[in-house]
Amino acid sequence: MEIAFVLNGAPVRIDTTPTRTLLDWLREERALTGTKEGCNEGDCGACTVIVTGPDGTPRALNACILFLPQLHGKAVRTVEVIAGPDGALHPVQQAMVEHHGSQCGFCTPGFVVAMAAAHARGRTDHEDQLAGNLCRCTGYAPILRAARAAEGAPIPAWVAEDAAAARNHARQDTQADDAHPVFRPDISSGERGDAARGAESPPPTAPDAALPKDSDALAAWYEAHPDATLIAGATDVGLWVTKQLRDLAPVAFLHRCRDLARIEVSEREVRIGAMATLAELHEVMAPLHPSFAELIRRYGSVQVRNAATVGGNIANGSPIGDSPPALIALGATLHLRKGDARRSLPLEDFFVDYGKQDRAPGEFVEAVSFPRRPDTLSCQKLSKRFDQDISAVCGCFDIAVEDDTVTRARVAFGGMAATPKRARAVEATLEGQPWTAATVEAAMARLADDFRPIDDMRASAGYRLRAAQNMLARVFAERAGARTSVLEIAP
Amino acid sequence: MTARFTMDETQPRLLDETAQGVIHEPMDRPEGRLKVTGCARYAAEHVLEGMAEGVLVRARVGRGRVSCADEEAVRAMPGVLGVYSDSRMLQVPAHGGAGTAPAQGPDEVRYFGQPVALVVAETPQQARHAAEALQVTYEEEPGDFDPDAAGTVDRPDKRALDQGDLDQAMAGAHRTVDVTCTTAPQHAAAMEPHAAVAVWEGDRLTLHGTLQMLKHNRAELADALGVAEEQVRILSPHVGGGFGSKLGISAESVAAALAARALGRPVRVVMSRQQVFETTTHRTATRQRIRLAADADGRLTAIGHEDRVYNLPGNAFSEPTAQSTHFLYAGENRRMAQEVARVNRACTGAVRAPGEAVGMLALEGAMDEMAEALGLDPIAFRKRNIPQRHPETGQPYSARALAGCMDDGARRFGWEARDPRPAQRREGEWWIGIGMAAAARVNLVSPSRARVTLREDGSALVETDMTDIGTGTYAILNQIAAEMLGLSPARVEVRLGDTDLPPASGSGGSMGASSAGSSVFVACRALRKTVAGRLGCHEHELTLKDGTATCANRRARLHELAASGALSEEGEFRPGTTKKQVSQASYGAFFAEVAVNGVTGETRVRRMDGTFAAGRILNEKTARSQCQGGMIWGIGAALTEEMVFDPRDGHVVNRDLAGYHIPVNADAPPIGVTFLEERDDHACPIQSKGVGELGISGAGAAILNAIYNATGLRLRDYPVRPEAILSDT
Ligand SMILES: Cc1cc2nc3c(=O)[nH]c(=O)nc-3n(C[C@H](O)[C@H](O)[C@H](O)COP(=O)(O)OP(=O)(O)OC[C@H]3O[C@@H](n4cnc5c(N)ncnc54)[C@H](O)[C@@H]3O)c2cc1C
Ligand code: FES
Ligand code: FES
Repeated sequence: MEIAFVLNGAPVRIDTTPTRTLLDWLREERALTGTKEGCNEGDCGACTVIVTGPDGTPRALNACILFLPQLHGKAVRTVEVIAGPDGALHPVQQAMVEHHGSQCGFCTPGFVVAMAAAHARGRTDHEDQLAGNLCRCTGYAPILRAARAAEGAPIPAWVAEDAAAARNHARQDTQADDAHPVFRPDISSGERGDAARGAESPPPTAPDAALPKDSDALAAWYEAHPDATLIAGATDVGLWVTKQLRDLAPVAFLHRCRDLARIEVSEREVRIGAMATLAELHEVMAPLHPSFAELIRRYGSVQVRNAATVGGNIANGSPIGDSPPALIALGATLHLRKGDARRSLPLEDFFVDYGKQDRAPGEFVEAVSFPRRPDTLSCQKLSKRFDQDISAVCGCFDIAVEDDTVTRARVAFGGMAATPKRARAVEATLEGQPWTAATVEAAMARLADDFRPIDDMRASAGYRLRAAQNMLARVFAERAGARTSVLEIAP
Repeated sequence: MTARFTMDETQPRLLDETAQGVIHEPMDRPEGRLKVTGCARYAAEHVLEGMAEGVLVRARVGRGRVSCADEEAVRAMPGVLGVYSDSRMLQVPAHGGAGTAPAQGPDEVRYFGQPVALVVAETPQQARHAAEALQVTYEEEPGDFDPDAAGTVDRPDKRALDQGDLDQAMAGAHRTVDVTCTTAPQHAAAMEPHAAVAVWEGDRLTLHGTLQMLKHNRAELADALGVAEEQVRILSPHVGGGFGSKLGISAESVAAALAARALGRPVRVVMSRQQVFETTTHRTATRQRIRLAADADGRLTAIGHEDRVYNLPGNAFSEPTAQSTHFLYAGENRRMAQEVARVNRACTGAVRAPGEAVGMLALEGAMDEMAEALGLDPIAFRKRNIPQRHPETGQPYSARALAGCMDDGARRFGWEARDPRPAQRREGEWWIGIGMAAAARVNLVSPSRARVTLREDGSALVETDMTDIGTGTYAILNQIAAEMLGLSPARVEVRLGDTDLPPASGSGGSMGASSAGSSVFVACRALRKTVAGRLGCHEHELTLKDGTATCANRRARLHELAASGALSEEGEFRPGTTKKQVSQASYGAFFAEVAVNGVTGETRVRRMDGTFAAGRILNEKTARSQCQGGMIWGIGAALTEEMVFDPRDGHVVNRDLAGYHIPVNADAPPIGVTFLEERDDHACPIQSKGVGELGISGAGAAILNAIYNATGLRLRDYPVRPEAILSDT
């Protein structure tokens, strides 16, 4: 398929197989080898690039699980071209040299780019911004020092230029017809890239691929191609290609469907479009349900959250997805669409069994919604490593107490069963009862009725159950005013 | 000219006399700019005219023979150029310093994931798809996959020691400790995956590789290919981390060279992250029994350190688990012994601080237990047991600041505020505790050569095949030459990582800085003599600073002295008798404060300090980074890192960075590193010792000792799983 984007300030037009990754292309076709491959599956951040989309915001993304069509109409920056035009180092590069943030140097470009993206957005929460970048040499301290040292330094001009280019495209795209999304950068020297080399590297064979411009177009196309693979943020699908070498044809890329990315907060409900990213969800949740926002902060990394979507996190049906338990606890309703037909169901009912969801061929997730209520949600994520790790147990508790009586209890867990699942026995034991240690203890005991967790590499069954019970006790302690944050460990 | 020097006697501390003042300074690494701009080129990034792409095919059985590979079907796939299973391909990587080829022959499968063939195609995608598609059938044979139940167990003599009577000492002791500790298999997981680009010109091979010890690697590669060493050139100017996994050649180098030869085209082979986990060396799991006996005065009368490790049948390497136990503490009755279980798992080999990285965990945990049993402060108890002479060989020690490091660290960390009774401090749902452990790592040096040229323009060039794997070689060799020749570092150029240059020690065993540094020192010392001669004075009278040579009342600019032609000296450093005269090691002390969560069992390290003494510190910045990085490895060993092998066929279950948990920045607390001023005159002529591995050697034990102080739980299995804590709290 033919796509166009801006690479390091210059327009690029290429004909590509839909599932070629940006990382492969940069390194093999453009000899831009500053962007490294450390894992090829989103775990290490060595391949971090900056992508500026239609909203003009520069974001760090992992190029190894980013398919070229996802870049259509956007502006991409790589480590080689983030310095100022006079060749001076970018402030974060300079700081990395001075603070000895680079030893073997292999992780360095990824860090530098992640730091430059954060710098451009004025972020100073460096630990979070760099949680998705692994370094085996430095012990991180010199890198964090470098990030701090570069705070407040002038932002290079290319940040604004990339934003302008992406906005320009967004204007054109709204006029483009659906079959042929076009992006005509003003400069006419559009290179041919892969197309100039003749055939694109053959495997996987060039499949049908669609880039629908909105949800109506998607609905129509998907109904006609019900066996197709939908690609949202590709943080999951990307691995099917890079790790499992699967052939996904036909595919549809959903990122142009901006109408699916809306998050609407009204007085009655919160409605999250399927294409809203975890990063966007985080911003909306921070004031509404801070504990949910905190859970999202520990979801993957900045790079992963900038790509991963709520729809993808639900649709893949993973038993250890982090947003479903929180949404279930909030009483969420899932909205599905197939062609012109729409239906809604409680989110927990969508998860039928391991690898099995209540979704018909040709049907897709449109949105998820939940009622607006005062915040009574507590989310707890337990993983082996603090950041950038899948949950061993994720427990979410929405417990409302009035006059010392539990008026509503919705409790859901990830990592405790083959699907994200409600703890109905626990809920029943809590609801209508006095909010006391005795009630909580009784409810903790009922967890064993709700769940028979398994032993695996991440945790043993016994530990999962015990930790899940303790999480409920922690909610009780929290409400009583105890300090429980896992973050507050600094001496 | 070649200036040869053998370390048979201690040398004057010339680097304390020289005038330039750049040694020890925290100089930025000269290649830093290349690295932050993405311009430093690593092996996989060499693109040669006509280059084809190779992908290794992994065995899918744990043991057996390849009976048939359906090469025809794969050859018909788009872009495929060939399928190679030459009998010279490697089964396992070579070990550090081997200098000869390791076991070869891809048809015999000895562990799951072993490379059995190489598929070469026009593009990497084509090669990957074809490698995945290649149907290989095996005659499977039963294998041993569980080190605890292995059928064959070797007991190497070189690891056995029996001195005095351990059992009797235990029986009659005032206090004893007899504990078993386990450590999990670990992987170096350097961020740069293994890669090689091979090209032949006639019968000369050039290999762009990512390797740590080029002179040995060249010999290994030549031996594997059956060609003369002179026919092989290896280039490895930037290495994206090694930590032992690139000490010897591994499958990709040989496969790339063979295919390139057969095809008459350059061939590139890059391992996937999964292959790195499956087929490069990893650190064995260990099971260690430590026995300590002490008298009423708190003096050790006996130490036993017996361990069980594993490796492939017939493989020569075994983790030297008890390495530092031999010299660290007193006790006349001693027993060390090792069992090597022979299993069909990927090859085990040296990973950062082989021996100490795991042995010190068991020993320092047991020392903490003994201190408690005796009612002594852990530092006081250790100090009481620092031996006068090596308890086995009787050698004196060279510079050894163990006690000084413990005292200094204790002061900085606020050790005296620690309540020795466990489980006394609680903050919210967190139990807080403090622990310490000693650091020790043997000091190694090895022959090394370098050429230093004082060019006509008065600048200097340092050339050696030494590597910089992130350790700072470019910086410190620059500083040594600049200091010795009186130049600003900007006037010194360092070229590394090319076997056409004089052969160095290579990077491994923390010996690179001292060994390669000494060779540069020796070359520069000879140059200073020449310069003094040209000025007509004795070298002792000579002062070199900022490009000017001064002696008595004579002065000259260096470029004037070299105007008639560049001055060049090759320096050769060899270890000598001082190595045997004394017991040499780097020492230190770790301090850690942990918070252990009573609700979830999670442990987080709140802060960590290390005080170290490793002879002369050549560059304060690079040395500090090495120790900080090492201490994070200690956190990984204590809390997160664990390779999991499937007991049915020995395959690596968590063969990626999502499943093998190296610490992220949130796992890394503020870390303080302090160096004590020290010169070790017996180590080498620049009086330095190894620092690269010291920071890991014992670090994890400080954390487990702190967990005990926090919770009262004596945990002896590394890494600590939250399960272990929750089940007992
Ligand atoms: C390094 C890394 C770390 C991660 N960490 C976490 C973590 O901490 N917590 C966590 O929960 N997950 C984590 N994940 C998993 C991943 O981020 C999630 O599963 C993610 O939400 C998937 O969203 P996506 O938009 O990327 O989906 P994609 O990969 O694009 O798609 C996933 C699946 O959903 C389908 N799909 C997508 N959108 C729709 C739709 N609108 N309608 C119907 N089907 C659809 C796709 O066809 C596919 O089957 C991590 C992944 C990586 C690579
Ligand atoms: S290569 Fe590791 S995240 Fe992309
Ligand atoms: S500097 Fe080597 S991995 Fe970060």
